[in-house]
Amino acid sequence: MRTARSDSGLKAGMRAWLRLLTALLAAVMVVAGLSATPALAADGTEAGDTTKNMSTVDDATRALAKKAKGKTYTIATDTTFAPFEFRENGKMVGIDMDLVDKIAASQGFKVTIQSLGFNAALQALSSNQADAVIAGMSITDERKQVYDFSDPYFQSGVQMAIANSDDSVKGYADLKGKTVTAKTGSEGEAYAKSIAKKYGFTIKSVDQSATMYEMVKAGNAAAVFDDYPVLAYGISQNNGLKTVTPKVPRGYYGFAVNKGRDAELLAAFNVGLKELKDSGEYDKILVRYLGANASTNADTNSVKTVERVSFWQLAVQSLPALMQGLKNTMIITALSFIVALLLGLGFGLMRVGRNKALAWISRAYVAVFRGTPVLVWAFFFYFGVPQLVGHAIPNWIWFSGLFTLSLNSGAYLTEIIRGAIQSVDPGQAEGARSLGLTYAQTMRRVILPQAVKIGTPAVINQLVILLKDSSLLLTIGFADLLYQAQQLYAANFRVTETLLMVGVIYFVAITLLTWLANIADRRLNK
Amino acid sequence: MAASTENTANEFVVDVRDLHKSYGGTEVIKGVDFQVRKGEVVCIIGPSGAGKSTLLRCLNGLETPTSGTVVVNGHDLGAKDTNIDEVREQIGMVFQHFNLFPNMTVAENIMLAPTLVHKMPKDEARALAKKLLAQVGLAEKIDARPASLSGGQKQRVAIARALAMNPDIMLFDEATSALDPEMVGDVLEVIRGLAEEGMTMILVTHEMGFAREVSSRVVFTHGGVIDEQGTPDEIFNHPKSERLRSFLSKVL
Repeated sequence: MRTARSDSGLKAGMRAWLRLLTALLAAVMVVAGLSATPALAADGTEAGDTTKNMSTVDDATRALAKKAKGKTYTIATDTTFAPFEFRENGKMVGIDMDLVDKIAASQGFKVTIQSLGFNAALQALSSNQADAVIAGMSITDERKQVYDFSDPYFQSGVQMAIANSDDSVKGYADLKGKTVTAKTGSEGEAYAKSIAKKYGFTIKSVDQSATMYEMVKAGNAAAVFDDYPVLAYGISQNNGLKTVTPKVPRGYYGFAVNKGRDAELLAAFNVGLKELKDSGEYDKILVRYLGANASTNADTNSVKTVERVSFWQLAVQSLPALMQGLKNTMIITALSFIVALLLGLGFGLMRVGRNKALAWISRAYVAVFRGTPVLVWAFFFYFGVPQLVGHAIPNWIWFSGLFTLSLNSGAYLTEIIRGAIQSVDPGQAEGARSLGLTYAQTMRRVILPQAVKIGTPAVINQLVILLKDSSLLLTIGFADLLYQAQQLYAANFRVTETLLMVGVIYFVAITLLTWLANIADRRLNK
Repeated sequence: MAASTENTANEFVVDVRDLHKSYGGTEVIKGVDFQVRKGEVVCIIGPSGAGKSTLLRCLNGLETPTSGTVVVNGHDLGAKDTNIDEVREQIGMVFQHFNLFPNMTVAENIMLAPTLVHKMPKDEARALAKKLLAQVGLAEKIDARPASLSGGQKQRVAIARALAMNPDIMLFDEATSALDPEMVGDVLEVIRGLAEEGMTMILVTHEMGFAREVSSRVVFTHGGVIDEQGTPDEIFNHPKSERLRSFLSKVL
């Protein structure tokens, strides 16, 4: 569950927008939220739609909801949190997405979805770049101080899963003496710890969901404790696991707006949600993503699973998304390389020149960007700069990526170009200067052409490093090749095969690039 | 033009006064006075480390003197308003290791400075390159790459390249030291031809026979100072200082 995640950017929201108009509604939300927090059930209780009777909708809500009609709202969400939001054939789908779509349709408002990542979505909301967030977000007391939440639309929970082929584990008691796995810092881990002593198993925590599942399938762990909806979705996607114990209900998920803002949107969501539940549409959505019995039945043992496609079918399905990623990787690499070359040339010339101040600036540039990790700059540009300037900047993720990669690569290219210039025989400069050529003419006509020849292999090497480093931008949500792969296997759980495809694509791309660069090298520097 | 010193500016094309040059803590040139008149051919001889090359390199600003004045063609190289690039156009220099530009053909090596500095049209510069290459006996190598030339051919191209700027003075820094013995003759032949045309030349050389033959004056440096100078006859046949006698006994 998402309570473990940090909510940077909440402070901005705290400052703003406490309005009397919706104070009443907010108070109702708080009461509803508090009363909805369940006590931890040690051995699991019945699950299903436990949010059924939590609607706060009354006539006042309905009246308020009408004000949303005809308006367009920007709703921020996570990039991938299957089954709540994830990409399927390039389109955002999932429980959250379907709910929002259906509610918007029934309540007559329009929605623009921004898929930003969980923290970025909260930041967008706090800075009023988005009107609301729906991202499988738990309703917590801390969050209620800065956001107004809708009626709970989903109750999450923790559940245990074991390998499909495992018939020895029928309940927690069968875990005695065995090792189980859970995600570090998650509620699944907390629950496993709470019962570990009683049932006599040990816990080995890891960082990634995919790793946990692979451990269980490989027999390195007997069972995994994870978020119920994530597990249920994975099982419905045939990820090789099954459940044998009921889910343990935990927190509720809600749709959030800034405190005191967009009360009509919140009201419309609540009205729409109630209508979906009353009509049975809500159950259909849950069934679609969590399997046949998800909405009303506690156990997901008998969920209907989709057909497991062959590797080649998987490759064909994945190819459009991967090619889109490759395109973005190539574009950001090409742009960054051009800028990096200019930076490298400029700072390299400053470094070998006679002006001490310029040489010092060049040294400082290299020291700073060679001495700091790429990720720090990616975060700084993408998250830091918009906060410094106080507003969002269009296409900022592209600029962030470009600045990050080109400044980093430029530092290495500065050193490559400096080295190449300095390795040209000093007699060349003396020969040219003796003829009356100026420093600039000597550089341009005599030194640089020879330096380019010397430096080209190292520059090509740097280009390849740059292409591979560009995958680090996925941490800020840049949709490069590896990012697309993560999106794919977050939804289809075919981790190894997807990564294999990505590895092959990178390898082919880099081999082609190196081959082209070497041809260009031979042409230019014969 | 630039500030000239005393009334010798018109008389001497090279006028060096009290030149000192140190590298780090080591003084290589320890107070040299050295003048050259137009049309003179001066050979600088002396043992290794005597400061011969450093003295030569001070004349076109490749080395900056630690103290003292260097006036060439009326330009005080140490003066703030002197444009060293302009002075260098008037001084040709030939190096021990040729310093041809390997990224250009022979013709491009020769045409580079005239077209860039003198803004000479390309066809005119090529005609000039052709003429100069004929002069040094390498007309057929005009489109060759330096890498395909022998050392002696490279050095003759380097001389042609320097001559292309139509210099008033030519400096030769051990121009034949890196050559195989059989190549030396061709290069010396070219230099001899320049001497006959009346080119003012200053040569640092180890070719004593050649120095005796072409020089109007020979300068013997030792330990960073000019130890003795005079006509080739005075230096080679009637050396005065013990050091010069000792040097000559080793090299002749």
